[in-house]
Amino acid sequence: MASSNAFLGGAKGRLLPAALVFRYFASALVFQALAWSALFFAAPALPGFAGGLGWPLAALHLVTLGVLVMTAIATSLQLLPVASRQALSPSHWPYDLVWAVFTVGVLALCTGMAMTLPILLLTGAILVTLALLLYLVLLVRNLRGARGMPLVIAHCWAAALSLLLLVGTGLSLASAYSAVSLLDRQSALTLHVTFGAYGFMGMLVMGFSYILVPMLALCDNPAQRWSNLSLTLASAALALALPTALGVLPVHWFALALGAGALAFMIHVALMLQCLRSGMRQGLGKSFVLVRLGWIGLAASFVVALAQACQAPAALPPGLLLVLLIGGLLTLLLGVLSRIVPFLAAMHASTGQRRPPTASSLTVQRALDLHFYSHLAALLLLLLALASDSVWLVRTSALLGLTGALAFGVFFATAWRRMTAPA
Amino acid sequence: MNTSAGARRPGEQWREPDGVHLEVRGLAPPSPFVTIIKLITSLTDATMVVVHHDRDPLPLYDELAQRGWHAERIEGDAGEFRLRLTRAD
Repeated sequence: MASSNAFLGGAKGRLLPAALVFRYFASALVFQALAWSALFFAAPALPGFAGGLGWPLAALHLVTLGVLVMTAIATSLQLLPVASRQALSPSHWPYDLVWAVFTVGVLALCTGMAMTLPILLLTGAILVTLALLLYLVLLVRNLRGARGMPLVIAHCWAAALSLLLLVGTGLSLASAYSAVSLLDRQSALTLHVTFGAYGFMGMLVMGFSYILVPMLALCDNPAQRWSNLSLTLASAALALALPTALGVLPVHWFALALGAGALAFMIHVALMLQCLRSGMRQGLGKSFVLVRLGWIGLAASFVVALAQACQAPAALPPGLLLVLLIGGLLTLLLGVLSRIVPFLAAMHASTGQRRPPTASSLTVQRALDLHFYSHLAALLLLLLALASDSVWLVRTSALLGLTGALAFGVFFATAWRRMTAPA
Repeated sequence: MNTSAGARRPGEQWREPDGVHLEVRGLAPPSPFVTIIKLITSLTDATMVVVHHDRDPLPLYDELAQRGWHAERIEGDAGEFRLRLTRAD
């Protein structure tokens, strides 16, 4: 591959430095371990948790901000320039700044939540807000300069707009603990969860899936008519959720928004399943079992959210929606990460080597296997714990989740070590 | 044979003395990647493949290496990223 290496070097104008992207991913994995650890301490307060400061809220934000958003930032900032033929600016300080401010902010925010320190929480929220606004500038610059891929770009624009609402409502909720309320708490909470999970993360996941899933499964692009319909429904759902949560539209319109969102997601998943069935690569292993289970978790979250919106008589455990929604996103994301980390490492490892390593040679399957079983057992036990109000089941779940997080860390560290090993 | 950008449809294949040519300009990602892998998988002999691309296809190289192929950039039209793919063995 000596000859191809020669021009791979030129192509690296569209790759962020390996140390930078891997630092984001490594931070996300550290936050994952911290989140499961926080869940262990949250166990006594978790059954019946319905909001408020404490360990459960800290554990939740360690996952959502520390793992999901951190990974989303790295993935979007790397994938968009590669896929849309844009040269990156040689100056990387904005990426370093986003990472540093965001990491410190998340640590301060979650410590403030866990220790019930409103001032620290607000400081963390302000830092997170600043970091996310800077990230938004970088994201919008990528989107404005993108060529082609209108479907992916449209999803990313929806995610970018959702991020603004996520940040605004997050700041409002955080400042409320310091007696400065910017927005009605219930409206802010509804918008925060909706636009954070379904809007920002959901739209990014769906958009990037239209590139990553066909590429990994080696299948044709999904039918454009159906993918456009999915996008239209998802955008309409978000557009409807905003005035409903603000009280401009009657509250039952929120169920309609959820219905439209659920339909959009079902169409998207049907397209992805069709792609996986028809793809040339059938053996995608446990990584895509995680992806499929992530889809199931997200689909189930729509059902629970609809039941809550329709005030269904059956008593649903508090926290069930969040576990399905965040657990689904986390499971899907870890499944994809287990595929793209070695892939990205193989691209970076080619520099200066006569024959670059393949992605499979950078993977530690045993660590991924341990993560797979531990992670799924942890989520299953967490669901059981919510149903049975069991503190010890929460603690067992947290220990299993931590085991899985550490195993994933071993996989990640090995990929890094092999990538940076001399030829 | 005319290999200019306007003369071929996205996804079109044709033969020339130097091998099978594949036009992937104008295809939305990841279709170029998938189309190239489908083509090399269908070839049973040592036929070379010339790919007419509009970008440096970063994700392609690892997939080619895993399948025993390697890539080399060759001269192409203005704005084109032309690759010659050869079976390694």
